[in-house]
Amino acid sequence: MNGLLEAGTAIYVAMAVALSVWIGIFVYLWRIDAQARALKRELQREREQRPLGEGDAPRASVTRVGRSEGEPVEQSSRG
Amino acid sequence: MAVVERLGQIGKLLIGVWIAGVAVAMFLVIPQYEGLGNAGRIVIMHVPTAWVSVLAFAVSALFSGLYLWKRRPEHDHYALAAAESGFLFTALATVTGMIFSQVVWGIYWNWDPRQTSIFVLLLIYAALFALRSAIDDPARRRQLSAVYSLFAFVTVPFLVFVAPRIADSTLHPNCAFIQGSKCDGITLEVGMIGLLGDRKIQLLALERQGDVVTAEVKVSEPGLTSETILRPSYDLAAGEMVARPEFPGLRYQLGLEAVDLRANTALLNIEAPGTGLLENRRTLFTFLASIGGFTALFFWLLTLRATLLDAQWALAQRGGSRV
Repeated sequence: MNGLLEAGTAIYVAMAVALSVWIGIFVYLWRIDAQARALKRELQREREQRPLGEGDAPRASVTRVGRSEGEPVEQSSRG
Repeated sequence: MAVVERLGQIGKLLIGVWIAGVAVAMFLVIPQYEGLGNAGRIVIMHVPTAWVSVLAFAVSALFSGLYLWKRRPEHDHYALAAAESGFLFTALATVTGMIFSQVVWGIYWNWDPRQTSIFVLLLIYAALFALRSAIDDPARRRQLSAVYSLFAFVTVPFLVFVAPRIADSTLHPNCAFIQGSKCDGITLEVGMIGLLGDRKIQLLALERQGDVVTAEVKVSEPGLTSETILRPSYDLAAGEMVARPEFPGLRYQLGLEAVDLRANTALLNIEAPGTGLLENRRTLFTFLASIGGFTALFFWLLTLRATLLDAQWALAQRGGSRV
């Protein structure tokens, strides 16, 4: 163990540790990146394939105010 | 689309190999710095991470501005991703700086102006994340955090570049890269007291023997815990420093840079090891490669995190919940 920390070898040990940490981070990032891209593709495909349902279409509701007495409230809705 | 994705994959692979190469060069290619030994190698990581954090905060402010203009959630996701990356890189710069500080100053944290300003910067961006987590309404959260992010970025140039350089007392080796305001040392008359870094110094006497002038300088530790007499000297004929004793417990040396015997004054300065280290070609190229590698890594992290936030938002929209 002490041999690893001797002046001649310590720098190689430090380099190996730094490289190992970077390789670990890189592999982790690579995997997350692949999963994120797969998730993005899946969401994209789902969005393209999903038929327009009840909840997808925009809705609007208009109420006319200031109507004259007795006139029914006009409402319109889409969707 | 597939070609772009393939190129992106190759780019990411290159980032991995590039930074691994920088790590190897950091330990095996660049030479040791005079006076600092192997500890000085950390500068290859420390400075680029600090620079990339400034870039990240700038990108965050840019996307915050875009969000306020266009009101598109994607811009908010990029702004948040950049701020998070900036925070990460600032933390990395702080930790590597603390390791350097332990080796060179003998202490991890001594509230040096540089350390204090980076700590304030971390607090400012931590407050941004706290702000975001405290607001439930997504639109309001995005709007407020975009405004906050723009104001936060205004402080970045001041905290990173200005504050440490206008401070009267810093041990941070600015002179390694920029001939800044505090690289000039201090001129003292015999008997006078001054501050050099965070050390109180007093010029006790100037003695001439032939062409060599020796200054007797009393150096007090921060908090006046102990005092030491150091004797730097200067060769009048050659116009150069001779003896440069080290500060107690530090790798920094006390240099006598000029003497005026008629006025009985001396110009004393901290001779920081690492000053001018980029003059070495191998160090300079490794340093530039490190900046390039970390910048590319930042953009990878930015797009990755923004993609995840987009996906999270899309899933929340589908599920009808608020994110």
